Amino acid sequence: MAFIEIKNLFKRFKKVVAVNHIELEVNEGEMLTLLGPSGCGKTTTLRCIAGLEKPEEGDIIIDGKPMLSQGFVEPSKRGIGMVFQNYAVWPHMKVYKNVVYGLKIQKIPKKNIKERAQQVLELVGLDGLEERYPGQLSGGQQQRVALARALVGNPKVLLLDEPLSNLDAKLREELRFEIKSLVRRMDITSVYVTHDQAEAMVISDRIAVMDSGNVVQIGTPQEIYDKPANRFVADFIGTMNFMAGEVIQVLQDTEAVYVRTEFSDKMLCKTPSITATARGEDVFASIRPEDVEVFAEPPQDKENLFKGTIAHKAYLGNFLYFFVSVNGTMIRVQAPHNLPREEGDEIYLFLNPEKCMILV
Amino acid sequence: MTRGNIFLSAVLWSIIALFVIYPLSILLVESFKIAGTDTWGISNYLEFFQDAYYLKTFGNTLLLSTLVLLTTTIFGIPLSYILARYRQRGKTVFTALILLPIVLPAYAGVFAFIIFLGRFGTVNLLLTGTGLINEPINFIYGLHGLVFIQALHMLPFIVLSLSAGFTDIDPCFEEAAEVEGASGFWRFLTVTLPLCTPTYLAGAVIVFLWPFTDWLTPLILGQVDFLPSVAYINIAYHFTDLHRKYMGIVAVVVSSIVCILLFLLARWWVERKKYTGLSKGTTSEGRVIEPGPVVKVGSYVYMGFIAALVLLIPIVLGLAAFSRRWVLEPFPTYWTLENFRVILLETPHLIKNSFVFSGLALLFGITFGLPAAYLIVRTRVPGRNALDFVITLMLAFPGMAVGVSYLLGFWQTIPLARYWIIMALALFARRLPYFLRMAHASYLQLDISLEEASEVSGAGKIRTFFNISLPLLLKGVLVGVVMFFIMAFQEISTAIFLYRGGWETLPIGIYLNWHRGMEFGIAAAMAFLMIVITFILLLIISRISGGVLKAAWGPGGT
Repeated sequence: MAFIEIKNLFKRFKKVVAVNHIELEVNEGEMLTLLGPSGCGKTTTLRCIAGLEKPEEGDIIIDGKPMLSQGFVEPSKRGIGMVFQNYAVWPHMKVYKNVVYGLKIQKIPKKNIKERAQQVLELVGLDGLEERYPGQLSGGQQQRVALARALVGNPKVLLLDEPLSNLDAKLREELRFEIKSLVRRMDITSVYVTHDQAEAMVISDRIAVMDSGNVVQIGTPQEIYDKPANRFVADFIGTMNFMAGEVIQVLQDTEAVYVRTEFSDKMLCKTPSITATARGEDVFASIRPEDVEVFAEPPQDKENLFKGTIAHKAYLGNFLYFFVSVNGTMIRVQAPHNLPREEGDEIYLFLNPEKCMILV
Repeated sequence: MTRGNIFLSAVLWSIIALFVIYPLSILLVESFKIAGTDTWGISNYLEFFQDAYYLKTFGNTLLLSTLVLLTTTIFGIPLSYILARYRQRGKTVFTALILLPIVLPAYAGVFAFIIFLGRFGTVNLLLTGTGLINEPINFIYGLHGLVFIQALHMLPFIVLSLSAGFTDIDPCFEEAAEVEGASGFWRFLTVTLPLCTPTYLAGAVIVFLWPFTDWLTPLILGQVDFLPSVAYINIAYHFTDLHRKYMGIVAVVVSSIVCILLFLLARWWVERKKYTGLSKGTTSEGRVIEPGPVVKVGSYVYMGFIAALVLLIPIVLGLAAFSRRWVLEPFPTYWTLENFRVILLETPHLIKNSFVFSGLALLFGITFGLPAAYLIVRTRVPGRNALDFVITLMLAFPGMAVGVSYLLGFWQTIPLARYWIIMALALFARRLPYFLRMAHASYLQLDISLEEASEVSGAGKIRTFFNISLPLLLKGVLVGVVMFFIMAFQEISTAIFLYRGGWETLPIGIYLNWHRGMEFGIAAAMAFLMIVITFILLLIISRISGGVLKAAWGPGGT
């Protein structure tokens, strides 16, 4: 049984539906990320788990105990640790007081408090800074204080609300791995909210992609990247070329599909859609830029081989990035950095049928 | 262009030198003069701090300040919390009523409460009439009455600053405490309240300083053993006795020093401890709570109680204004417009003077304030921060200090005090910060690139100011203009030392009529008239700035 179960959760603010009857399970000890654009309901879902928002419908069960259906359980009684986007480190308390605030409320003996605080401060690399005020710390250090405060009480669940979004890029990357290994070592069930797909890929065991109040897809980072459930997910995670078209033939045995697009009469896609497609349906034949194979000269006869003109070229160090116009349709491709082709030159694109997927 | 800025800076500084620094230094110099001799020395100060009586007044004032601050804080914390955090109907109306005393002259409150709560006031007459008590209860004569009246007058400052704190602190601070297991009151005590201390302090210092400034309330209530009242009596009543006059000046200087020091201390502390801005970006719109039914009713009763006390002031004064011979009766029985006839027909110059002096002061204020705001916000002229500092400091100076220093400074060497223009000049100097701060604030919000775009298009600095900056600043500036006018219109502490026959303003008229004893109907009618005028001006501001709440902005006083 899952450690956190979210059942039919529904929350709205006045007329705006923030969370639309979602179902979600978080397994014990796993790090689940809620990923989506701003306004998709990910933060609201997290705040419902924390008890900072009261949903209109549904239930949240943490470690077998319902938080809503048998009377609302206050945030202070849920046994959770939470890291806020704005750190929420109390500026009028020293680091040490910030960290032990919750322990003092639980009336834990003073000696244990001190031990526990010492351990956790060492864990996040803040030992020696106990007597500082938050105003004397850098953003990264403040976020570590927030993390220490969330972890010090050995919470059953750790909630992280875009904890890295206020830090600069370099620090953000560093802390991603740190948080991941820390949480894994302590084996805490955690829910992590972010709008940064790269962050989600690095940190999560599983990702739940959300869009306008719904969970669109749940899966490991690889599943989500390789087999996006729909156009939204594919677009949000990584880069994808979408070629609008119409299904003209479905091969029964392999479920491969022939699509007519604006630039070709026949294009083969061997990765079918999760929702079954039928002849005549409007779909997107899709392929990621790094899956497109680029040739300066036309190779041996291949299916899905198209001739195009380079519209834009960008040198990105380890590879070249092209916008290629194929009969007026722009396709983004990644090419080896030594390919001797310039803007305006002709080029051949092989859209490998194995990598071509159908999305709606 | 820098040369123009330096010239502007020089002009503004010379105005400040003549109308602020010069008279105030004369005040300081006079306090060292020794009566009956041509010598100078610190003997006045030595006497002040050795004389049991002066020490007592000093102690009394400190005690009063502490009590007023305590009372306003105790009543202000729940009030601000209710206003800032609870979702309730009619909140705007209650807020407006509770903040009303900021724009009411302090003496209006004193008169109203004497009529209502005095020894033979409405309440005592009703109580003795029904036989509930035999002897009238002493509601207001004494320290407790002073605390009550001054606390009611200063409560808005605490409410404004605390509710600003309750609204502005990032909600995640409290949510973090909630998640950490702190519930309700403990969270309020350990997180919410401490985070509000900087904003609270900004209001608290104004409240604490009020008893060091307000000479009139104690005087009217017959409690003269307070620093400003003693100073007033020494200077205004005993000017022939040079020694007492100098001792009065010493008292004024001591009050001023206390005010300035505490003001600076609070400013320094607030700057150092500012918690806002420590965390970036608020996600939700602050924490607004839907209270339970019991709390809801309780908070309505509480707000209603305070609002009713405030409302008593205009109501009682209104009753007195439209009646005569309201003596020894709980409510007036003889209704008349006679008071207004006297004011409007027999002494119309009072109203005229009030408008002329305040209007002129306002004109000076704008002519000085706009360039000053420009200089402080937009240029790098050396000394601009000092200019800002000196003008802001005027907020802390007791009105009496300005009045007395003008009397001393502009009598012989620069005989400006012999002409009525001194009244307008004194009001200008005293109320300057009000206008400047509004202009300053709106200037800060004006994106500099809008002005730069105009200059790039070929417009000069002055043309840019009139075509681009001024129209965009207008809203903020207009609020400042009206606020300045309201404050100048009520001013008495400065004017009382400077007026001569024919220069009386409405506040002075109120004071003189009250002094004459039986004419309190006229005094009440004048006070009522002032409240009405203030109200109309407030309505104008709320039209401009879209809210009665914002209209009641800013610290005030007599």
